[in-house]
Parts: sequence; C-alpha cells; structure tokens
Amino acid sequence: MPSQATSINLDQHLAKAGPAAASFARLWEALWQQDYLPPELLDLCRLTFARMHGDRIEMAVANPLVESTHADASLRQAVLADTALDAPALPSAWRPVLQFAEYYWVDAQSIPDAVADMVKGKMGEAGLVLLIEALGCIDGRIRAARCLRDLATHRSTKEVAHAG
Amino acid sequence: MPASPRASGPGTNTGNVIRDSMMGLVPETVEAIIKLNSDVWRQSLVSPSLLETLRLRNASTVNCVFCKSVRYDVARADGLTEEKVAMIGDGYEASALAPREKAAITLADAHLGHPPGISGAAAERVTAAFDDAEIASMLVSLIAFNFASRAAVSNGGMPEDPLPVTEISVISAGGAVA
Repeated sequence: MPSQATSINLDQHLAKAGPAAASFARLWEALWQQDYLPPELLDLCRLTFARMHGDRIEMAVANPLVESTHADASLRQAVLADTALDAPALPSAWRPVLQFAEYYWVDAQSIPDAVADMVKGKMGEAGLVLLIEALGCIDGRIRAARCLRDLATHRSTKEVAHAG
Repeated sequence: MPASPRASGPGTNTGNVIRDSMMGLVPETVEAIIKLNSDVWRQSLVSPSLLETLRLRNASTVNCVFCKSVRYDVARADGLTEEKVAMIGDGYEASALAPREKAAITLADAHLGHPPGISGAAAERVTAAFDDAEIASMLVSLIAFNFASRAAVSNGGMPEDPLPVTEISVISAGGAVA
C-alpha cells in the first residue's frame, strides 16, 4: 500500500471497496485514452486543482498515464506557479480549458457562457462533455486522497498515544 | 448559468438516463460511468438509504436542482422517508438521525469541503462508525455523486428550484448490468 494517497494512486487505497472501486478505476483509465482532449492538457487541469486546493503532495506527484516532454514540464511549472494562462508556450486552444477548470473548481454554477463556448468551439461538444467528466473525477480523487491522508494521520496518532 | 444546456444528448431513447444524457456523446467513457453508477447502488458496502443520505447531502452542497429532487427506489425500499430526508440538511446534528447516519454526513462534508479534509474529531467519529472498507466504499460513492451533480450544473439548463420529488429506479440509471 502506498504511504500517501494522491489522485494518482487512489485506486490502490480504494480497492477494498470492491466492484464499485474497480469500476471507478476503469473510468479513470478511460479518461486518459480518448481523442477529445490531450492527456497532457488533462494533467494540467489536475495540477490546476492541486494548486487551488493548496495540496503540495498532489502538486509534487507525476502522472504515469501521461507521457511528458520538456515543453510539458515548463507548462506544468507554469500551472503550479499560477502563470500558465499568460505563458506563450500554452497553446491557444488549451487556455479556455484551463479557465473552465478554474471556474469549475470555484463553483460549477459560476462557469461563464463565453468560456464554455470557447471550449466547445475548440474541442467540440463531446470535448466539452469529456472535460466536465474529467474535472469531476480529478477533483473527486484529490478530495478523497486528502481525506484518506487525514484518516491515516489520525490512525497513527492514536496508535502512538496507545503505545505511550 | 445558461438557461439551456450547453451540450445536448445523443438523441437516443434507450431508457437509460445516463446513456441518453450528454454523457452519451462520449462513447469512450459512458459505459464505464453506467457501470460505476450501477455498482455504487448494487455493490456498495453500506446500505442504500445511507448512500442516499450521502447523495442528497452532496446535491444540496452543489445545488443541483435535479439531484435534490430525485429519490432512488432502492433507498426508499431500504427505509428512506421524506421525514428522514428533511433531517439531512444543516440541522442534522440535532436531528433524530442515527449516529451512523450523522457520521456519514460528517464524511460527506469532509469530502465536499473547501478545503477538503477530516479534522481529528471528525476522523474519530467516522472511524468509530465505519471500518476502512466502508469508508472507502462511501468515498467512491461520494466521488460518483459529486461527479454527476457537478456535471449537470456545469452543463447548465437547470430548472427552477425546487422540482417535485421524483422516484428513479436503479435500473434506469445504471442499466441491468450486475
């Protein structure tokens, strides 16, 4: 069992839940094997959420489902530094996707029509739907991982107290 | 939020509410989503009424008008009443809900919070009521419920709140897959 739960290794931590956890793991894998949005872009969405959550453990973890290039590494750093939307290296079609992700994280009710329309214009209607699905999975996984880490800390604190 | 949905469904009428929704536009994921929903309701390690408690707590937090109006048939068959649904709101701590139901809401709030996370007292309450496998099962369910409700809200076209309460069958939402 990995020591620290993150969105990346969450399925190992949830496996004890049985068939539903296995189905959730299959959905996670499917999100990275489609032609609507590049996996590199989805991973930038993951890092955007990690930054917005202030989750340093999530920010530090690499995603093995994404093949990274040198250019991707600089974009990842820009996302973590909250400068990606102004980065010349960010493809123009990716900008509205990251903006959509930020609005989604704050409140899904707050997503402006203009931003959603830009995503749809660049990625197509199915691309917009895939993005919405992916953001829900990514944020849910980051949140669950954080809860599991807190529970593990609670458990170890209790064990120390009992041992003492 | 836009008055009409940003993405429409595939135009099918299969009888499965997920396949006929906007999610039907992405064949690479829609079957996995249907299977997940089916497994959450049929194979979770906690009771359907407890799952419905989690789902309705999430629906209120996200403010998904559709999700708030729905009641799953299996949860009602498991004893979920409208009196109990009314207790799942902000005053749940002082309500007549069972300790296990209150602990489930504590876990839901920890998962859905800004920031997410479980404080020491909340962790004590959750771990006293549930074992590790049950907690994992509820976290999978919470992710699935939050995923669905935020997808509906992101897509827009929400009706006026509230909608009449409507019962939905697990079969129509999750298919006949075991």
